[in-house]
Amino acid sequence: MQRRTFSRKYLGIPYALFLILFVVAPLIVLFYYAFTNGQGEITFGNLTGFFTDPNTLGTLFYSFGIALVTTVVCLLLAYPTAYILATSKLKAKSVILMIFIMPMWINFSLRITALKEILTWMEGNLAYHPFLNTVLGMSYDFLPFMILPIYTTISRLDGALLEASRDLGAGERETFLKVTLPLSLPGIMSGVSMVFLPAMTNYVVLDMLYNSTYIMGSLIGSYFAAYNWNGGSMIALILLGIICLFTVLTGGAQEENTRGGALL
Amino acid sequence: MMMRRLRGIQTPADCGPGFPGGRRRGRSGGRRGVKRLLMCLSAGVFFTALASSGAAQAADAGDNDSQREVTLRVCNWEEYIDLGDWDEEETIDLDSGDIIGVNSMVEDFEEWYYENYGIRVNVEYSTFGTNEDLYNMLTLGDTYDLVCPSEYMIMKLMTEDQLVPLSEEFFDTGEGNNYYINGVSPYIRSIFEENEIGGKPWADYAAGYMWGITGIVYNPKLVSREDASSWKILNDPAYQRQVTIKDNVRDSYFAAVGAIKSELLTSREFLEDPDYKKNLETEMNDTSRDTIARVQEYLQDVKDNAYSFETDSGKADMVTGKVAANYQWSGDAVYTMDQADEDDYTLAFAVPEESTNIYFDGWVMLKNGIDGDASKQHAAEAFINFNSRPDNAIRNMYYIGYTSVISGGKDGRIFEYADWCYGAGEDEKDVEDYDLGYFFSEEDREPEGSYVITAPSDQVSRQLSAQYPDQEAISRSSLMVCFDEEQNRAINQMWINVRCYNIHDIPVWVWALAGALAGMLALMGIRKIKR
Repeated sequence: MQRRTFSRKYLGIPYALFLILFVVAPLIVLFYYAFTNGQGEITFGNLTGFFTDPNTLGTLFYSFGIALVTTVVCLLLAYPTAYILATSKLKAKSVILMIFIMPMWINFSLRITALKEILTWMEGNLAYHPFLNTVLGMSYDFLPFMILPIYTTISRLDGALLEASRDLGAGERETFLKVTLPLSLPGIMSGVSMVFLPAMTNYVVLDMLYNSTYIMGSLIGSYFAAYNWNGGSMIALILLGIICLFTVLTGGAQEENTRGGALL
Repeated sequence: MMMRRLRGIQTPADCGPGFPGGRRRGRSGGRRGVKRLLMCLSAGVFFTALASSGAAQAADAGDNDSQREVTLRVCNWEEYIDLGDWDEEETIDLDSGDIIGVNSMVEDFEEWYYENYGIRVNVEYSTFGTNEDLYNMLTLGDTYDLVCPSEYMIMKLMTEDQLVPLSEEFFDTGEGNNYYINGVSPYIRSIFEENEIGGKPWADYAAGYMWGITGIVYNPKLVSREDASSWKILNDPAYQRQVTIKDNVRDSYFAAVGAIKSELLTSREFLEDPDYKKNLETEMNDTSRDTIARVQEYLQDVKDNAYSFETDSGKADMVTGKVAANYQWSGDAVYTMDQADEDDYTLAFAVPEESTNIYFDGWVMLKNGIDGDASKQHAAEAFINFNSRPDNAIRNMYYIGYTSVISGGKDGRIFEYADWCYGAGEDEKDVEDYDLGYFFSEEDREPEGSYVITAPSDQVSRQLSAQYPDQEAISRSSLMVCFDEEQNRAINQMWINVRCYNIHDIPVWVWALAGALAGMLALMGIRKIKR
């Protein structure tokens, strides 16, 4: 009788099926639409159209701007927090960390609605500061994604390195700049990619905080609402390209740090 | 008679973020705030339950082979039909009898159809968010038998020959169950008969469901009625950052055309022209290059002046006082004012002097769904008729807040309901007569004044005027036709120009900053490689 062999490989089958159905297949469809016109003929018109239209380029620029500022704000807030948290001798560290992650358990649109009320209370009329509000909303939304990876890298830093640095006569400041900061770079990179890319497309925050200027996500939506699937697909594809490029550029750094993301 | 009673808890939080697309209605959830919230959470559960009850019926039918079962795939706007489960105290106690939604309209229809025709029908009910979504769903190959898009989408589907004409039996006034043809308002019927696509009137293919106009909901304490009665309020510097506008091309286009042509549209010469109505429609549907350019300029101005383009937040922002005026569809305007009333906060509704966009949502049968199946078509038409039965029309109206196209014909209950909602109490002093003859009167059969509601004076500028616009507002209403591909392309491009950040607008200092940043990154990269 033949023994049925069970290999761990089989456990991957559901995931592979999932990938094929929900990642690969849509991608093929996306490619098809991006490189065809309304009549189904192959064309590069959508691609050239994107890079010659001042509106799409402007939107790309605007999205970049929002994402960049959001990332910088998140980084400035998250790094000190993560650093202090990771290096402190507090016993309740995990509890404090939990407080930072907790907002993520609350429904996202509910959180932004609450933020909207707080900002209205502070600013009076939200409509005068659409860019600021968008950045605040996104930072609020994405902050935990920045804190966690930085926290994990810093807390996993080899204490011996820090001791060695001090033994060799470096001060606190020098130790931080020459040892801690470079070694926490992978965490920063991973955090940056987790904040920057969603911030480019998350038009819901934009919408809810009354910013009437399109970003990439809303632009794609408007193309589809105008039945222009081909143009919309091309924008989505270009975004995908940007994400790939970004991931490759920061790729080396990220690998070490997948655990931080897994916590989310 | 008492004022319309309002119950339920206000839910200012939006159900979810909307998509920047075409008209989205029915999301208001009507009068029933609590229900709305529940619906948001449990729409899925509900439809699962529906599906399983359908399955149970299918099993029943299976027991007896002589019983055939028909499956009817209906796709309607979100929250655009009575889902039943009303509280006892919500009973609409008309003199002619109580009306209450116990079961959902769909369940009631299945039962009614079996009782009347002896055939089990299983309704697969689903919903869509915008006309464009529906069209995209159809293009992707979703099949439905009966859908309920707005008039311009009906026109588009008619042009593309996707629709099945309504049968002759449907128009047989002698048949007792033909509630639609016996109950539809003569005013609406004439519009459906007069407007043609490719030589065929809408009425051949579409049966109306709900209708309304567009206007401005405003806070009378902050905005004068005069200012709210013009589309020009949208870019009026006096209301800087205090007015919201709809986030979709068609509605914005209409308002903008109204605003830029304001002088012409309100001029005496134009108003007194014997062809006023026709001229108005031509002007409001003007897509000449020059007009589109002016609309773009105007909307860019609006973007800098208005509070925001809103997909779904306008109603709540009006009630919470974030904005002073809000471009709104009449059905949602009623809902907004109702919600404000609950908070003892008074809002009013004005119909711009230039013109108002009259719109219809109607039932149409799709060719690829019906596919020549007579029993299916029969069930689809029966579904329209069942929803047109006056008591059911009232249930739907009460539940979703929009206005049914049904006036009731010989059945007086629709008018009775309007009076029940808005008629003044006997002890009220400050009342005004509000004539709805244009909507309810059957071609001169009834004497003038048969359909006058004696309403509290303030209602004439509030809910009543939104739910049932007066003759004057109707006289300056204009349809917005379905634009052809070329017009659509031009208008959509205009819209993108308005909404997108143009790369030429980037100030020099931003370029300089970006350049410096890029340089820095490049330098860092080079240094890293050198090491």
